[in-house]
Amino acid sequence: MTRFTRFLTLINVDDDFTRSPSDVVQKSKFFMRALRTKAQKECDTVAKELKGILDIAGLENVRIVIGKVAEEEEEWEPMGPHPKPGITTLRNWDFKLIQRYKPFYAPFCDMCCLCTYGKCDLSGNKKGACGIRMDAQQGRIVLLACLVGCTAHTGHARHLLHDMIKKFGRDVPVDLGPEIAVEAPLTRLITGIRPKTIGDFEEVLDYIEEQIVQLSDALHTGQEGSVLDFESKALHMGMLDSLAKEVADIIQIAAYKLPSSKPGGGPDVPLVEVGLGTIDTSKPVILVIGHNVPPAADIADYLMEHGLDDAVELGGICCTTHDTTRYYPKAKIVSALGRQLRAIKLGIADVIVIDEQCIRADVIELAQKTFTPVIATNDKALHGLEDRTYDEPDKVVKDLVEGKVPGVLILDPDRVGEVAVRTAMQIAPKRRAMKIIMDDEEFQHWVRLCYQCGNCTLACPIGLRIGGAMAKAATGNTKPLAELFDRCVGCGRCEQVCKYHIPIVDVITKAAYPYVKEERGRARVGRGPVWDTEIRDVGAPIVLGTIPGVIAVIGCGNYPNGTRDAYLITKEFADRNYIVVLTGCMAIDAALWKDEEGNGLYETHHGRFDAGGVINIGSCVSNAHIHGAAIKIASIFARRNLRGNYEEIADYILSRVGACGVAWGAMSQKAASIATGFNRLGVPAVVGPHGTKYRRAFLGRPYVKDDWKIIDARNGTEYHFEPAPQHLLVACETVEEALPMIAKLCFRPSDTDRGRSIKLTHYIDLHEKYLGCMPPDWHLFVRTTTDLPIAKRDELLKRLEDERGWKIDWERKRILEGPMRPYDASFDPTNLPRLVRKKE
Amino acid sequence: MVCEPFDIANVPGPAALGMVAAPETMAAVVSSAKRPLLVVGSEILRDEFYVDIAIEIGKKGIPIAATGHSIKGFLQKGYTENVSIINLHELTNYLRDPEWQGLDGGGNYDVVIFFGIIYYYASQMLSCIRNFCIKPLMRAISIDWYFHPNAAMSFPNIRPKDEDKYKEMLKKFVESIRR
Repeated sequence: MTRFTRFLTLINVDDDFTRSPSDVVQKSKFFMRALRTKAQKECDTVAKELKGILDIAGLENVRIVIGKVAEEEEEWEPMGPHPKPGITTLRNWDFKLIQRYKPFYAPFCDMCCLCTYGKCDLSGNKKGACGIRMDAQQGRIVLLACLVGCTAHTGHARHLLHDMIKKFGRDVPVDLGPEIAVEAPLTRLITGIRPKTIGDFEEVLDYIEEQIVQLSDALHTGQEGSVLDFESKALHMGMLDSLAKEVADIIQIAAYKLPSSKPGGGPDVPLVEVGLGTIDTSKPVILVIGHNVPPAADIADYLMEHGLDDAVELGGICCTTHDTTRYYPKAKIVSALGRQLRAIKLGIADVIVIDEQCIRADVIELAQKTFTPVIATNDKALHGLEDRTYDEPDKVVKDLVEGKVPGVLILDPDRVGEVAVRTAMQIAPKRRAMKIIMDDEEFQHWVRLCYQCGNCTLACPIGLRIGGAMAKAATGNTKPLAELFDRCVGCGRCEQVCKYHIPIVDVITKAAYPYVKEERGRARVGRGPVWDTEIRDVGAPIVLGTIPGVIAVIGCGNYPNGTRDAYLITKEFADRNYIVVLTGCMAIDAALWKDEEGNGLYETHHGRFDAGGVINIGSCVSNAHIHGAAIKIASIFARRNLRGNYEEIADYILSRVGACGVAWGAMSQKAASIATGFNRLGVPAVVGPHGTKYRRAFLGRPYVKDDWKIIDARNGTEYHFEPAPQHLLVACETVEEALPMIAKLCFRPSDTDRGRSIKLTHYIDLHEKYLGCMPPDWHLFVRTTTDLPIAKRDELLKRLEDERGWKIDWERKRILEGPMRPYDASFDPTNLPRLVRKKE
Repeated sequence: MVCEPFDIANVPGPAALGMVAAPETMAAVVSSAKRPLLVVGSEILRDEFYVDIAIEIGKKGIPIAATGHSIKGFLQKGYTENVSIINLHELTNYLRDPEWQGLDGGGNYDVVIFFGIIYYYASQMLSCIRNFCIKPLMRAISIDWYFHPNAAMSFPNIRPKDEDKYKEMLKKFVESIRR
């Protein structure tokens, strides 16, 4: 491209809307001619020097806009084969995954209702009027879910970028401290861009948004018809989702100086209080809900600037609360998503500030019942409120305190703090005089009114048997009702179907109130990215298997049996020297429980990215750093090039990095796109039983030998190998079943014998501990004697001989015959023939 | 007879809402099956009675797939004769493959009986079987105390206070199986 043509691509002609289109064309032609004949050289120079708007004298109503000046980029790493991949670029990789882990569909609904041909009955894998079959329709719905999830993160990232550029400028450096050189591994990997300032993320978001549009287009009637291609597109969407999350979190880390690898960051982040019982309701309380931190940061700024940080409580729910504590550690984490309804109904908040995502749609209605004004701060969640962004704060506060309006909309985050704090301080004394928690008499009235019709149970997502507990409470035994508090997912559907209008959620909360008041835990503040220096230390043990795995405990709180599962999963693996990283709701819920000595997991376990660590990475968007850690293992430890090299890195992770996601309470579409993004990068995930409602799983079939082929990159030899990992996405019914499954999904073909022995030890031990017996498939993971757990080696060799017919040399204690493949310490597994160094 | 799904909004579509059936009717389906399979979930552990029922069915020669952590119930009773541990998602994935040789190598199954599985997980797996296990046709029935619209046959929703009646229905179901 010549300098002149490059310049032409950088400009566009913009009419002032005073002339007709033909005038514009004329002006453009004239302008182009002028450029070619007179000013080519000068304009080229000007374009290099200027960013912004250039008005040419004599060219009335014509404006040249210099969008971005291409600068010669410093060559920091050779560009890989797939920078900014399009829909089909990584299709072959997706097909490799899908071939081994075939999409499994469990339709949630038999019908398609998306066009006017329908409704179409697709049951029995029938075709609809447009020709789409049930299985492809399920793939389409999965793509739609991933789209919704991905756009939530991308919209969030774009919103943050706008706000941060407006507040701090686009040149805020992306400096994550001295321990992090690979600052944005997903950005480098997927786009080939190394961002230096937050403004550099504009190009990344442009790429994501363009891809989202193309993928969304494929959802239209009469577009895609193939199951495999719907899934490939969903995987592409999941990858974009991971990228958007990284962009969002790095922008806020850079702009707000959230913890990174600077002093006080990483493993040294402070502990903060967690739980409904942590809020001091004698003070004015502001409750922030959602995922976008700028309004909460402005509240924190206002409190600090006015010396009110000890006078006003700032608490939060869901991911905003993670990010608020990253910015302002005096803030408290009130709860995860699952307690939102109850936290609002408890009336602990004097002001509720909502931003975006995971906000109850009925927040205004609920807040009005507890006389709590709501401040909405984001155009994605306006809730019908009047825009008062530029009104005088005095007027807005007055209207809120006097209850003239249920809430207001303040779209400039920098104007939220004053209104929220002043409103909370003025309204708090008035609200304290109001009765919000029901008294004992009212409680008895309601529990006696219940006649156990069972409607609430039929409406409950987890089928809680509420009526029986009500009956016991009527006789004075409130314990069964109180025990429902933690198991309840907090949706409130029960209350709508009660024929006697019993406020069931409130009644359960009342029964549990003595416990709720004492719900106090501690969590380490979300620390953001894993350090490069930590990866240098653990890269080898993870790839060799001597650190048996990285367990990512992530996602929402739609658990089958309460929050204790989050604690149990985390504790079990951290105690076994896995690295446990947590984000979002599960990072919060895991902090609610304590050991016998009263210590929580964040207090009993270190926060380093190392064996036995319990690490709060942060909010939903911080999930990207878990991808980032896996990518950095390939980059820093294995020295693979990252830049534009997604396929090779995903292949590396699938074959070598024993990581497993656990989204035990996955609920939202974001959880779908997050899991799908992990899957494309080669990281499997386990979901709870509600996860089956996502309709699709990626399940392997160990009995189909040809599904399990892998290549030795040293010479191109193809091997049948053990199912490692066996699935990419699987649901378990109970936590007891999930624990050994998670351990199983950490096996990788590259494990050394020592690493395999450690992994097998934990798999067998967890199976015996929680299921009471040896796993039926343990032998599949044995390649050689030294793969066996040391303490049980002889016993297991005997079992292999007796039960499986393997041939054992007892004198040398060696396996002579039986394993699926031999063990070779130098085995270099890959799924990509192009990576074979020398073909035989 | 049609009744409300246990999760009331779980109305899959026009072809679903399988029938509510008497224990004897369901037993007749099982009796006539060539390759029946009992799929047991963790809810059987809430009462020994349910483990005993599963074992009684197993003793009639019907293999048992123990999903969730239900295996613990069988181990406690010392019954492992024809019991296989398997994850329900995995199992359902295999069931939709006509080439799968089953838990015992004897081939795939023609009737599966769901018992003691968390309602919504079971419902999704039953949906998969109903929609995709069609060539050859596999019939899925549920003997849980939930009405399952995705099962070909199931019991109606049974309230906890009627649990004794439910237990009687299960006994009748077991007694009526002829194999």
